[in-house]
Amino acid sequence: MEKKKILIVDDESSFTRMVKLNLEKTGAFEVREENKASYALSAAREFKPDLILLDVIMPSMDGGDVAAHIKNDRHLRDTPVIFLTATVSPRDPLSGRVNRAGELFLAKPIGVDALIKCINENVRPPADPEASK
Amino acid sequence: MKPATLGAKLKLLLIEDSPGDARLLREYLAEAAGDPFELTHVDTLATGLEHLAQGGFALVLLDLSLPDCFGFDTFTKAHTAAPEVPIIVLSGRDDEALAIKTVHEGAQDYLVKGQADSRLLVRAVLYAIERKHAEEALSKERDLLHTLLNNLPDRIYFKDRKSRFIRISRAVMEQFKISHPREAMGKTDLDFFAPEHAQAALDDEKRVMQTGQPILGKIEREILADGNVTYALTSKMPLKDKQGRIVGNFGISRDITDIQRIKDTLAVERNLLRSLIDNLPDYIYVQDAEGRYKVDNIAHRRLLGVTSDDEVVGKTVFDFFPPELAGQYSRDDQEILRSGHALLNREEPVLDHAGNRRWNSTTKVPLRNDDGQVTGLVCISRDITERKLAEEQLQRTNDELERKKEQLQSTLGDLQHSHEELKAAQFQLIQAEKMQSVGRLAAGVAHEVKNPLGILSMGIEYLSKTLAPTDKNVPAILADMLDALKRADAIIMGLLDFSVPRALASQPEDMSAIVEQSVALVRHEITAKAITIERDLAENLPPVYLDKQKVTQVFVNLLTNAIHAMPERGTLTLRTYLRQLQPGEIERDDGSRLAGKFRSGDHVLVTEVIDTGSGIPEEKLAHIFDPFFTTKPTGKGTGLGLTVTKRIVELHGGSIDVRNRKEGGVIATILFKVRAGGEPAAVTPRQPWGT
Repeated sequence: MEKKKILIVDDESSFTRMVKLNLEKTGAFEVREENKASYALSAAREFKPDLILLDVIMPSMDGGDVAAHIKNDRHLRDTPVIFLTATVSPRDPLSGRVNRAGELFLAKPIGVDALIKCINENVRPPADPEASK
Repeated sequence: MKPATLGAKLKLLLIEDSPGDARLLREYLAEAAGDPFELTHVDTLATGLEHLAQGGFALVLLDLSLPDCFGFDTFTKAHTAAPEVPIIVLSGRDDEALAIKTVHEGAQDYLVKGQADSRLLVRAVLYAIERKHAEEALSKERDLLHTLLNNLPDRIYFKDRKSRFIRISRAVMEQFKISHPREAMGKTDLDFFAPEHAQAALDDEKRVMQTGQPILGKIEREILADGNVTYALTSKMPLKDKQGRIVGNFGISRDITDIQRIKDTLAVERNLLRSLIDNLPDYIYVQDAEGRYKVDNIAHRRLLGVTSDDEVVGKTVFDFFPPELAGQYSRDDQEILRSGHALLNREEPVLDHAGNRRWNSTTKVPLRNDDGQVTGLVCISRDITERKLAEEQLQRTNDELERKKEQLQSTLGDLQHSHEELKAAQFQLIQAEKMQSVGRLAAGVAHEVKNPLGILSMGIEYLSKTLAPTDKNVPAILADMLDALKRADAIIMGLLDFSVPRALASQPEDMSAIVEQSVALVRHEITAKAITIERDLAENLPPVYLDKQKVTQVFVNLLTNAIHAMPERGTLTLRTYLRQLQPGEIERDDGSRLAGKFRSGDHVLVTEVIDTGSGIPEEKLAHIFDPFFTTKPTGKGTGLGLTVTKRIVELHGGSIDVRNRKEGGVIATILFKVRAGGEPAAVTPRQPWGT
């Protein structure tokens, strides 16, 4: 089974590294870190992730703005985005998820299992080669 | 005048040493008709004087040449011994001159021996006795007149036709300051009095002498030449001779200067009193026992509306005042007349002549005659209308002030009430401001803390899965680290709950059910401490609109606090019931916990959580809802439980009260309003979503 490609955008490099280590340790994910929001779009175009984990508050650019750029890119607009944020409390203490305006939020800190579960639920099934043609 | 000749015989004493002469004289006397004499003969002066001393003799026949005395001396001694007895001196031819001398000195007659006969002797004796009697009588009259003139304090004078003094009494001498009547003889009043008075007196006297009519009892003001003024009560009468012709005038005047002075003084005092009475502004009058005015003053007449006392005297109060007032005055007067007690400072209404109502302060004093009987009364009365009006004004002003004071006090009460409300509002504002500040801080802190927590959490999980457990303690350490991390995260979550209010997901809920579910969430702690749960949960409570999840959080917080506060085997009581807020309950509520949320008459759902724990120190009670305030040991509580609890309750429009119980332990009371229409509690979040 092909590894799922996950792009994580967060200015906190320690955090992106921890996420990368934990996800790749499962063997099911290939994770690329991006610590500068302004490079997030180009990184995504180049990496073509199956799912993007996006921090909301970053020094140079707001996570919301990054998400807007992604939605405006015709190659990336269908890529699911999960927001990771320190500013909300989890509605559901078990899942740590919050739905707001159709977007999915995960509250930091988040357990690895919960993160993986959330990614698996949201990542698209492998593209149908037939359909891509 | 011959009284002695009638009746008894006249006793004669003959003092004669010559027996022949004596016999001759006895014979002569015996020849007198009717034998009127009884003769005693002695021959010495000494014997004669002895007889005289015995008295009873009508006459002495005295020979001057006696064996024991001789000549003039003999007469002197005999006359001195009995001056009232007439003496006829018997003399010889050779000493007739001596005899004449004795007649000058008081002898009635003398007879020359040898020349007298019986007829001559008897006639001489009778005449001598007669003459002596007349002399005595005249002398007596003269003595009386002298006594009068010399002793009478009244001044008596006699004047001739030209009003010249011919006789004055000693009182006149004293008035004229002269030492002898002679000094006044021939002088007139002009010599002793000032001309104006003297001339008037002379004119009066002239008229008396011309008309023959006396002037009686005239009061004269006499001005003496030296300027002294005296007063005299004088009567002047014509002086007539035996033929009735007017030959002058006489008069008597009494010095009445002292009386006149007293009269003058009295007049002055009377005038003074009169002008005092008349000029006093007080009403003054005197009434007799029948209530008739006798005297009054100008002010009183002005009050009555009359100008002269003729219009007042003899009338009564009934002539001037309406019957009602007059009756009252009259009754007062009668009481004074009856009792003899004065009426002092009676304040009474009065109507003046123009019909204006005025006030008088009246004093009435009984008037007594010399026998002490009450014969009337004196009244002095003062117009006190101005004072009375001022008093009434003062009273009105006082009442006004009193009313103002009450208004002021009532306003003050309102103000104090408003002040209390303001204080409560201010307290709530400060609390809200505190909350907002904490909220903003919490949001910032949460973001900064959660990122590192995220890293740590990921790191610990990674280590847990990859690190070979070379040390048996490693898994436990990693588990403790994760626990600590979760606790830190819980604090941050609490802060965020507190700082980011959300719209409530409210729907009708059964409060008793929520309480039961909350108990279930803390069951393992209850079991661990062997705490007894007592339930007093009402059934069939009306549904309340609330966010079940949040309200559960409230009860979990309260139950957790209660459990932590209790030792093992405590009792936790849970109670729900419905009640109606009573009138006045909100006003009485200290701290205005209920104010602004409820109204009296509201139906409220009450939930009580009661523990038997250690209670909360009184000084800390006021701060239990403050953020980060905790009575628990470090690490046991976040200090946000009650803050969030209160926040959630208030989001639902409810109230929470935590207080110590008298029996010990704490009671937490939560009130939610039961809405008639069952509509959801609408509470708008105070701030929008933050990031």
